[in-house]
Amino acid sequence: MSTPTQTQTDTTGEEGLDRVRTLWNQYLPYWFMAPMVVVMVAITFFPGAYDLYLSLIEEPTVNVFAAEFAGLSNFEAAFARGGAIHSFIITITVVVSALALETALGFVLAALVAGVGTGRAKSFYRVLFILPMAVAPVSLATIGRIMLNSEVGIIPYLIEAWTPFAAPAFLSEMPLLTVILLDTWNWTPFMFIIFYAGLSSVPDTLIEAARVDGAPLWRRYLHVIIPYMKPVVFVAALIRMIDLFRTFGVVYGLTQGGPGTATQLVSINIYEQMFINNQVGVAAAIAIVYLVMVVALANIIIAKVGFNGVWD
Amino acid sequence: MSEIFSRRTFLSATSASLLGSLAGCTRGGESNSTNQSQSDSANQTQLDVGAYQSADIDWQQFDGTQINVGAVQHPWVDAIQPVVPVFEELTGIDVVWNVLPENQFRTRRQTDVSTGAGQFDVFFMDQVVNQYNNEGWLQTLDQYFDDSSLYDESWYQPNDLFEASRWQAQGGDYADAWTGLPITVEVQTQFYRTDLYDEHGLEVAETFEQFRENARMIHENESDIVGTVGRGQQGYGMNIYVLNTFLRESGASLWTEFPEDSGLDTQSTINAAEWYVSLLQEFGPGGASTQSWSDVLTTMQEGRAGHIVSDANLFWPGLTGEDSSVSDNIGIAKVPRPADGEFAPNAYNWQLSTSKNASNSEQGFLFMLWATSEPTNTWMHLNNNAAFSVRQSVWENDEFRSRVGEEFAQVSLESLQAARPDPFDRKYPEWGQQYSKELQRAIAGQKSAEQAMTDAATFAEDSY
Repeated sequence: MSTPTQTQTDTTGEEGLDRVRTLWNQYLPYWFMAPMVVVMVAITFFPGAYDLYLSLIEEPTVNVFAAEFAGLSNFEAAFARGGAIHSFIITITVVVSALALETALGFVLAALVAGVGTGRAKSFYRVLFILPMAVAPVSLATIGRIMLNSEVGIIPYLIEAWTPFAAPAFLSEMPLLTVILLDTWNWTPFMFIIFYAGLSSVPDTLIEAARVDGAPLWRRYLHVIIPYMKPVVFVAALIRMIDLFRTFGVVYGLTQGGPGTATQLVSINIYEQMFINNQVGVAAAIAIVYLVMVVALANIIIAKVGFNGVWD
Repeated sequence: MSEIFSRRTFLSATSASLLGSLAGCTRGGESNSTNQSQSDSANQTQLDVGAYQSADIDWQQFDGTQINVGAVQHPWVDAIQPVVPVFEELTGIDVVWNVLPENQFRTRRQTDVSTGAGQFDVFFMDQVVNQYNNEGWLQTLDQYFDDSSLYDESWYQPNDLFEASRWQAQGGDYADAWTGLPITVEVQTQFYRTDLYDEHGLEVAETFEQFRENARMIHENESDIVGTVGRGQQGYGMNIYVLNTFLRESGASLWTEFPEDSGLDTQSTINAAEWYVSLLQEFGPGGASTQSWSDVLTTMQEGRAGHIVSDANLFWPGLTGEDSSVSDNIGIAKVPRPADGEFAPNAYNWQLSTSKNASNSEQGFLFMLWATSEPTNTWMHLNNNAAFSVRQSVWENDEFRSRVGEEFAQVSLESLQAARPDPFDRKYPEWGQQYSKELQRAIAGQKSAEQAMTDAATFAEDSY
């Protein structure tokens, strides 16, 4: 037998539980999304916000509220003395050139391997063309420096031994081209894999129909295969473009951004400002501008080229 | 139960050893397996605690405490670790090592001092010394030198430290106090191929003109061998580390008037830069502008160069050891100078410092004192492949000279006595980096040496 107080408590408890249940059901999608949102805030929003904070203060301090506000002086220093504009130009040059080369070469290699008759030969070429991607950036830079060394490198030696031409000093006479070509060698396999998978998904019936209509090989590629592969090409190029903007290890290991600033990518500039010049604010300012630029560029490309047009 | 226990034990042991190795963190004289042989030799030739007990220092005043030492992976660490137990026995202070690769260490050090964490009681210090001091992160050592329970001048013999090492540890004109104590020093020397000298009847060059002529002779008369190699790569420890020798020998100096005149666009500096740039362009390897110290060393080891015009005397073991294909034909000499110039090779010191937020700075000072003392230095250099002592007495020690070779020891000693190191003002890392880029551009032929030095001067002066 319950007392009036107990009854009142039970009723209140049930009401509270009902309220929780209602709240749970009403915002069910948000509860499901909450863990992901927390993770995203922790790994994406917080570092970005902290970077912005660093770009607006004089020096970092243990107590974040004790730091001295610097206004936009770090941004001014980045562009006036930090060589930010120059490094942006170098980066865009590398991204555009390497992306174009890797896309074209990746597609050609994928088409050639797709056309190979036997399965065993196909497997052999697939493995062969993927190998460069497995080389770690620092290893590639170290090996590259040795192989391209004018005195002890194998590449200048072979050029001079097997051709009538004198070997150029790759890293001092043509550093930007060398960096682009090395990145192309390293990452064309990525495009090759994706394009090869894309080519495999083109229906044989479409190609057969074009062949029956008398279309030569180049027309079959131009009017049937490439249009069909547009989504694949777009996604592969977009991923590679964003990745190219993040390039650091190979170029730093190979040239340290030089001679002078001839190969100074934005990532190298940020590293130098941070770890050599100890200019934390300037490094953070360049990083913020760079982040905004890359995100904006990626979104503009998606909007203009459009997933709608590709996927619909 | 026993299975669970052993699995747990295994996991704990594995995790602990993995974490320990990842952090490079060891205690006292313990180290990884590569140092085992050194530990063995330490047991054979033990350092006597009595050598320190004659000092009028209260070594035991911090008995039972502990210090954290932040260090880069450097031969000095390998050489001193076997005798650290002697320090621990002498003082009762436990030494914990945090040894990291150089770049990782720099990042960790900056975080430690700039945030006030103060985890390192003692740590390696380099070109950023005055920047750190200016930021108020370093703790100068003068108060400890003034404390009679911590320091005994007649025992420590500070004047036995090379003047170049003392000067740099005292801030190199940019601080008026001891910013740390020097642990290693290297000095610029010239290396040459004795077989090619015999073949062409050459004599060791003392002047720029003689050196250039020797380089030309080899460059033009030997196939597949260039006249000389030298650092061209950018970086404040790369090409300008070499040029600064020639700059001072030519009568110039960095910061003729601080902070108004960097001295980089004076005629003497331009002359030195033009000499170095043209030397590498005419008689150096292709791509000289990208040659780092390791490329320079490799090219000489492979027998592809007649000289290293000027680089660290520490190259000697690499050039005369089993990695070198010309090990029997390497000579060492003082760096060349202008005919009317003064011999003044560049030198570089690593030092140990302590921060304002370190909780065991006094214990750290005792460790610095012990590590840089004559008994420790002598032991390290007689029982290891070390040749970087900051103490003149070690370079004069007959047993040491016999081990490293009379020629190397004498050239190094005379060079160290005449050395004039770089002064590292608080913005040296920033403008030094730009100065090195400008020099690299000149070596690569992107601009004239004069223009490069003028641009470097503008940047340096604008940085203040």
